[in-house]
Amino acid sequence: MLDRFPDQPSRRDFLKTGAALTSGLVVAFSLPMGLGKFAWAQDAVTPNKDFTSAALPNAFIKISSDNSIRLIINKLEMGQGVNTSLAQLMAEELECDWQRITCESAPVAPVYNATFMPLQMAGGSSSVSSSWEQLRVAGAMAREMLIAAAAEKWGVPAKEIRAENGAVHHGKKGSLTYGELAEAAAKQKPPAPVKLKDPKHFKVIGQSMKRVDAADKTNGKAIFGLDVKAPDMLYAVIARPPFGGSVQGFDEAAARKVPGMKEIIKLDGNKVAFVGTNTWAAMKGRDAANVKWTLSDDPLLTQSSLQKTFLESLDKPGTLVKTVGNPGNALKKASRTLEATYEFPYLAHACMEPMNCTVAYDGKSAHIWAGHQMPTTDRMVAAKILGLPPESIEVTTTYAGGSFGRRANKDSDFVVEASSLAKQLKKPIKVVWTREDDTRGGYYRPMTMHKITAGLDSKGRMSGWDHRIVGQGVMAGSVFGAQVDKTGIDPTSIEGVENTHYALNDFQLQLQLMKSPVTTLWWRSVGHTHTAYVMETFIDELATAAKKDPLQYRKAMIPKSPRHQAVLDLLAQKSDWGKKMAEGRALGLAVHESFNSVVGHVVEVSVKGTDVKVHKIVSAVHCGTVVNPKGAQAQVESAIVYGLSACLYGELTLDKGQVKQGNFHDYPVLRMPDMPVIEVHFVPSTDTPTGLGEPGLPPLAPAIANAIFKLNGKRVRSQPFSKGLA
Amino acid sequence: MAAYELNINGRTVRVEAEAEMPLLWAVRDLVGLTGTKYGCGMAQCGACTILADGEPIRSCVTTVSTMQGRKLTTIEGLEGKVGDAIKAAWQDLSVPQCGYCQSGQILAATALLTQKPKPTDQDIDTAMVGNICRCGTYADIRRAIHKAADSVKST
Repeated sequence: MLDRFPDQPSRRDFLKTGAALTSGLVVAFSLPMGLGKFAWAQDAVTPNKDFTSAALPNAFIKISSDNSIRLIINKLEMGQGVNTSLAQLMAEELECDWQRITCESAPVAPVYNATFMPLQMAGGSSSVSSSWEQLRVAGAMAREMLIAAAAEKWGVPAKEIRAENGAVHHGKKGSLTYGELAEAAAKQKPPAPVKLKDPKHFKVIGQSMKRVDAADKTNGKAIFGLDVKAPDMLYAVIARPPFGGSVQGFDEAAARKVPGMKEIIKLDGNKVAFVGTNTWAAMKGRDAANVKWTLSDDPLLTQSSLQKTFLESLDKPGTLVKTVGNPGNALKKASRTLEATYEFPYLAHACMEPMNCTVAYDGKSAHIWAGHQMPTTDRMVAAKILGLPPESIEVTTTYAGGSFGRRANKDSDFVVEASSLAKQLKKPIKVVWTREDDTRGGYYRPMTMHKITAGLDSKGRMSGWDHRIVGQGVMAGSVFGAQVDKTGIDPTSIEGVENTHYALNDFQLQLQLMKSPVTTLWWRSVGHTHTAYVMETFIDELATAAKKDPLQYRKAMIPKSPRHQAVLDLLAQKSDWGKKMAEGRALGLAVHESFNSVVGHVVEVSVKGTDVKVHKIVSAVHCGTVVNPKGAQAQVESAIVYGLSACLYGELTLDKGQVKQGNFHDYPVLRMPDMPVIEVHFVPSTDTPTGLGEPGLPPLAPAIANAIFKLNGKRVRSQPFSKGLA
Repeated sequence: MAAYELNINGRTVRVEAEAEMPLLWAVRDLVGLTGTKYGCGMAQCGACTILADGEPIRSCVTTVSTMQGRKLTTIEGLEGKVGDAIKAAWQDLSVPQCGYCQSGQILAATALLTQKPKPTDQDIDTAMVGNICRCGTYADIRRAIHKAADSVKST
């Protein structure tokens, strides 16, 4: 993959650069995505809490003399609502007037790195949980500096002054607004340490503050990557080869005849860029060129042989990931065995806004505009291509029209192409991906299969569980790829099985990682997209075999997780579980932990042939403190809709490296009439917040499958259901 | 290449374009109004919805040459009793997530409410089926349409 771009830094270069840029201190740090511990060069072990060198009062909060407050958001706003929820964290301690705040996207700078890794990034459902302490501290520090400035001005002790609603107040001296104090506050020394509020005094956290971006997103003013316009900008669309393919030829003369066509540029021998004066001209140019490809015969690039290879691999030994007890013995002793094979297809993220990137380059400096989930690495990659120090490149993170992991690209694919073109053109260039380019452009949820052999004793109790996973994983080619190569274990292929909360005695897990030219990436909830399905449908089978109620069976099987217990209890209380349903309707249940949160769904389903209709979903969620209840509910609904599209319809198939699907007619997604009624309930908690953008997705599909079984006795083992039920 | 006069948001705009250029790209790249979004290019997703004489059209499959003499409204120019009520309800209920599809959703909803001031859920399903939202804001859109209908009725 990497050698397709001679200009692009390899992973090795990336690590070298990373080490050279830092002190070289190597520390271990935990990723919030359940990826375990990874070692990486990092120059600061602790989160960024040192604002002394930053602008005033600190890097996250800018107060102007007109009382306006600009909050700098260091995570991509891709719909998940970080501009609002992260602003709430700062506003809670800052004691500001909520109506006065505006949010801005952060530039690239170390101070904006995530608190858990030396990178600026939004992903792994980590935005609120990882900023929870940091941004409240930032708000509190700014508040204390404003108070100190007033104390100095009034000549009174700081402890006699209180801050409230954008002003400081003193019993005798009166009040001063933050705007009046902004300049003097900036000269104060940042206090350390600051004391954070007791949760019982929260005024902003826990409130459904309205989205701060709602106005701009209802009047056409919000600027997404695709909306960026630089002076004299040209537009490009790129013909990209099918997986494993190469350019055979194209009609350059025909393309040049298209009005508005300016340049045709071979990017690396395998890609051809068509540059025009507007998007339509670039598209027409590419159509006219009619690029022909030499296709690959790799068996992994055609659906039937791909499926056969994966299925055969399930019966070959993989890398041993985990053994508990003696599964071989237990299986021998079992009175009967259950065997199940599960298949999961490649999936595209299909963000509403297709990939795009704009780059302006003048030989000495550059500017990049896009929705960046990982702006630090995107800039690093662009710097290498453009031959500039990263500091000479300005990065503007625009709004993103969805992302779901796609814009956290391990190769910065959308940035690489635009940077390469900008270097050649020395003019601002916007690379536009059509829907078909986006669907066929790779970086998919990897195709994965599971096989479980489980034993049951005469009373229906589990007696041995052998679990095999065959899949591509997503870490290969990422900064963590070297570790995956060494161990043979991609944490994203096994998360949700390896760390299951179910008390499984006599259990074994093996993983076989497949190598294919098809690129893969984290896709909303990553490995949990398939592991939760397998675990939660199979547990349901075991409950049925043991003739136990699935909810009570789960409670008994997860005795040591209070969060699971609380979620299951809340579901029992809020849903119709256990009640008699109307003819043709059934309830299904599933519960799963991901990104440190536990979500359970009870779904009401009906089935006609292969058509599955989901009528109602009752969700119970344990994600610690809920910062914005309305926003949190929206994230759970969002994850449900994303998961429904996938399990009902989502599938990409290959023919000699060509992806057959291209647009919403053959890669359908959920539409308004199929939207179920959704009720979301949160377990009350004052725990530190845990993830929420993704955890609603994993238990959805298995809950539906468990309801389908009640309706027609079929255990659906392949997604999408339309295929699994056929 | 020919010149076309378009009436957009009450203003007459002259664009030089190929006759078959979709209205979407003329509006975005030539006129510079980027609130109208590209999502699919084949009338599958509704992100490019524009009102032509009040009717929702898919600007990605509508050529610029056929739009002369039509009164075009993009999200930037949406106003009036119904349009304002829809936008207010959208903001009040924090409907947008990523927001990319919302220009199209809002224009489609405005056309619906203009024709049917008190739409049923079934009416909403029918009117909104062509507008995809990948963030899954459908429930909030439904709530916001009902809320806007109530507020228009009470004024």
